[in-house]
Amino acid sequence: MALTHLQVCQAITAARGDAIVVCTMTAMNVLDGLGAASPLTLSSVPLMGGALSLGLGLALARPERTVIVLDGDSSLLMELGGLANVAGQQPRGLHHFVFANRVQFNGNHALPLADGGRTDFAGLARAAGYASAQTWSRADEVAPERIAEHLRRPGPSFVQLDVEPSPSRIGPTQPAPETTDARFSRMGDEIRAMRRALGASA
Amino acid sequence: MDRPDRAYSVGATPILQAWRAAGIRWVVTVPDFVQLSLHAALARPDSGLRTITTANENQAIETAAGLHAGGERAVVMMQNQGLYNCLNAIRALGLDAQVPLYLSIGQFGREFANLGDDPRRSRRRMVSLLEPVMDAIGMPYFRIESSADLPNVARAADAAFSRNGPSAMLIGHYTAWE
Repeated sequence: MALTHLQVCQAITAARGDAIVVCTMTAMNVLDGLGAASPLTLSSVPLMGGALSLGLGLALARPERTVIVLDGDSSLLMELGGLANVAGQQPRGLHHFVFANRVQFNGNHALPLADGGRTDFAGLARAAGYASAQTWSRADEVAPERIAEHLRRPGPSFVQLDVEPSPSRIGPTQPAPETTDARFSRMGDEIRAMRRALGASA
Repeated sequence: MDRPDRAYSVGATPILQAWRAAGIRWVVTVPDFVQLSLHAALARPDSGLRTITTANENQAIETAAGLHAGGERAVVMMQNQGLYNCLNAIRALGLDAQVPLYLSIGQFGREFANLGDDPRRSRRRMVSLLEPVMDAIGMPYFRIESSADLPNVARAADAAFSRNGPSAMLIGHYTAWE
């Protein structure tokens, strides 16, 4: 049985410690639901595909920190070249997790991905040049202590998380909501909060 | 061989000096043919700047924003066609999120007959559309058309880092190997 987004996000929240987290799409929404706000969390929104490169910049600027990127499969497909960028820089603190739910607009109205659900993302990361790449699909693999142990190893690491798609909410009886102003100001607010938390001045 | 177009080239060394003076420590780039001598100067061990090459311009903008979030200053080098490629990343990070994004953009493909003239009157859309596109998104830019324009390097940096938004210096012709 595949993992759930909630199960993984709960475990990562328990294991992250003082790590920086860059998230997007479903992982962002699930973290919001957990009430796990932190000045060291940055959401790539509305910017699908941006999480990995934001995380790369953070990992290079702050090599003493652990940086966790919580990416989506459709987001990664938009910016696959980001795998090569990480391989080129080899940031030891970067740990890249990809929620492979195999749909776009997960939880809203699931649509098929460009790859037809066939891509071996861990295989891509391994071939690109990550230090390690694995696929996790069992509950014991995402236990908080297992994730904490994983984060202590040198990166850049990649984990493909085989997760079930969430039930779709939007359809004929439940139209899509208006996009709020807060969705557009959120990323900047979080960047400024992170800079304050990190004592950034440049 | 002395070529008349050299009058429109600006040396890599003074640009690097201006970047260092502006507190820039990182270069994020999809390499630009117009700025080849600048890339070569950056590759020298004593350049004082670290270069990150990315696969496309969205990733370059996002990586620079990540560096900013971590407390570092970067310049993003790309071509004019690269700017067209990364408008959404600039919208998201430079405009909506108000992250300082300092770009150095080469006017690739510019015909020599247009040197010394207004790049908006270039016969090549890749050149002539650049400034109108930046006007459309409210992004300030500063031309580097000869050595007399070197103060624009610092002005463009200040426009990004003081305003907390995107700005660009536009390299009008091949940078000089000096």
